[in-house]
Amino acid sequence: MSVIHQPTVRPTGAAWRWLREQPPSLLFAVALLIPILAAVLFAPPLIGYSPFDQDLLARNQGPSAAHLLGTDHLGRDVFVRLLDGGRTTLLVSISATIFAFVLGVGVGLVAITFGRITESVVFGFLDLVRALPGTLMALLLIVALGSGLGPLILALGLSYSPHVAYIARAAYQREISRDYVRAARTFGGGPMHVLWRHIVPNLLGVLVTQAAIILPRCIVTESVLSFLGVGSSPDAPTWGRMISDASRTIQQAPYVLMMPLIALVVLTTCISIFGDHLRRWLDPVRESAGDNITPLPAREVQP
Amino acid sequence: MNRFLPIILTIVRGIGQAIGIVVLIFLLCRVVPGDVVDVLGIEGGLTSEQAAAMRQELGLDKPLVVQFTDWLVRALHGDFGNSLLFHTPVSDMLMHALPVTAQLASMSFLIGLGLALLLAVAATSTRSLFLDFTINAVNIWSIAAPTFCVGFIGILIFSIWLGWLPVLGSIGMAIVIIGLDIAGQVVKPLREELKEAVNLPHVRTARAKGLAPSQIAISHILPATSPIVLALSGLILTGLVSGSITMEVLFGLPGIGSLMLNAIHGRDYPVIMAAITVVAVSLVVINTVVDLISRLIDPRIS
Repeated sequence: MSVIHQPTVRPTGAAWRWLREQPPSLLFAVALLIPILAAVLFAPPLIGYSPFDQDLLARNQGPSAAHLLGTDHLGRDVFVRLLDGGRTTLLVSISATIFAFVLGVGVGLVAITFGRITESVVFGFLDLVRALPGTLMALLLIVALGSGLGPLILALGLSYSPHVAYIARAAYQREISRDYVRAARTFGGGPMHVLWRHIVPNLLGVLVTQAAIILPRCIVTESVLSFLGVGSSPDAPTWGRMISDASRTIQQAPYVLMMPLIALVVLTTCISIFGDHLRRWLDPVRESAGDNITPLPAREVQP
Repeated sequence: MNRFLPIILTIVRGIGQAIGIVVLIFLLCRVVPGDVVDVLGIEGGLTSEQAAAMRQELGLDKPLVVQFTDWLVRALHGDFGNSLLFHTPVSDMLMHALPVTAQLASMSFLIGLGLALLLAVAATSTRSLFLDFTINAVNIWSIAAPTFCVGFIGILIFSIWLGWLPVLGSIGMAIVIIGLDIAGQVVKPLREELKEAVNLPHVRTARAKGLAPSQIAISHILPATSPIVLALSGLILTGLVSGSITMEVLFGLPGIGSLMLNAIHGRDYPVIMAAITVVAVSLVVINTVVDLISRLIDPRIS
């Protein structure tokens, strides 16, 4: 009797092979994202300086052992300020993205469920809002809501929510004509039941993908608003605000400007690449139709 | 009649959209922040009589609908009131700022579109993987790197380290940066749409005839881009607007964007409303014109 030797599959080997099959740009993005997020979330208490500790004797210094990335024009540690600013940046943009999705999906789906007239009124209004570019809309909302982190999150969320509502509607219309939904209706499922039990779970894939596309745009728009001086305040600076503040000492200390600049661009690039791959992976059909742009003839203002 | 109905509907829709946006801007600027006089009162310390007199002077004691129609009628005659900070007519300030923004936006548009067409058509006709990779990279970069960051990188390199350009007032650098941003945003969807254009029968025939790739590119692929570019106009306009605002502030150019931002910082509501209204209404007009042109090119558009 012979023993059949089965090749033992080592789990590490399988994981390694799976990793090797992934596109290099995705691996690159994830390999940068994980340490950035970990550092931003956990490192600030470990550094020993607070973001607001001033040391006027050690101003505009280059990198050293005491200050890993040097100090700014008030002698504050650039590294801890960078990590702390990253926290605020992520807090604002993630909250704004969540707000945009809750509002957009909620308004979009409820408008559809209530019938044709509600749908056309609500989407007519959203169309109006979308005729303004995101930056202009956010500026207008900041004028109305005032400055500070709360209004900033509201303004960003509100200016991106129409886009989400359109995505939700498109996905809804795709799902509603499927056989299983018709079956559920035949069995007597009411509109809210069908929406909640059948449509919403199937929208999740599309929405997660869109979130990965909208999040970096929120980060970018937030940084633009902060650069324009209407975003975050100096006592809770985001990276955009830090760039704007550091631009005043661009001659004396260019690296103080470069640090948040590099951090911002690396973060948004990595999330964008990640989102791009997520879209291909979750929604392969739309790959041929180009970016998240509907094919001709729809002419849309992108966020 | 049947041919003209969609055109008329497009124009009516554009007018409706313009009115809707102006109402939205008016409401957001005038109702939500309370009252202009309150804001000025905190800073200037007005007595209640002075505040009441000022409200009467500015027409803020009237009902909202009357305020809006007053403002709209005067705005249609080119009168946006006086600046609260400078006491000069807002329309004069707009007239000084508009040419700067118009120059900035039109030049960046030409550079951006030219670059995007060049890259997309070249990638389509040569089927070069390298060009496709470049297009992907440029696209991700322009989505991820806001124009003001690129602007700072430009200032660091060309003004601080090389010392070639002044830090402020460099309209050339601003134009190039907005142009690159637009090219990056547009080139990928353009390329994706062109993939289908290559397989059209007349292009295949041209290739079968043995026409040179450059010839095919110029006479067959380039004409196919015009409806695509029109459909992407929203993306282009968004890039132009946000790019112009940030670049004007960054390089200290005295355009509409700088005007708007200075007014927002100084709470100069007549200027804020006028500047945002001018930009928003011009966008609606451009969108409507683009819509009309698309219909003329391709009557199948519903």
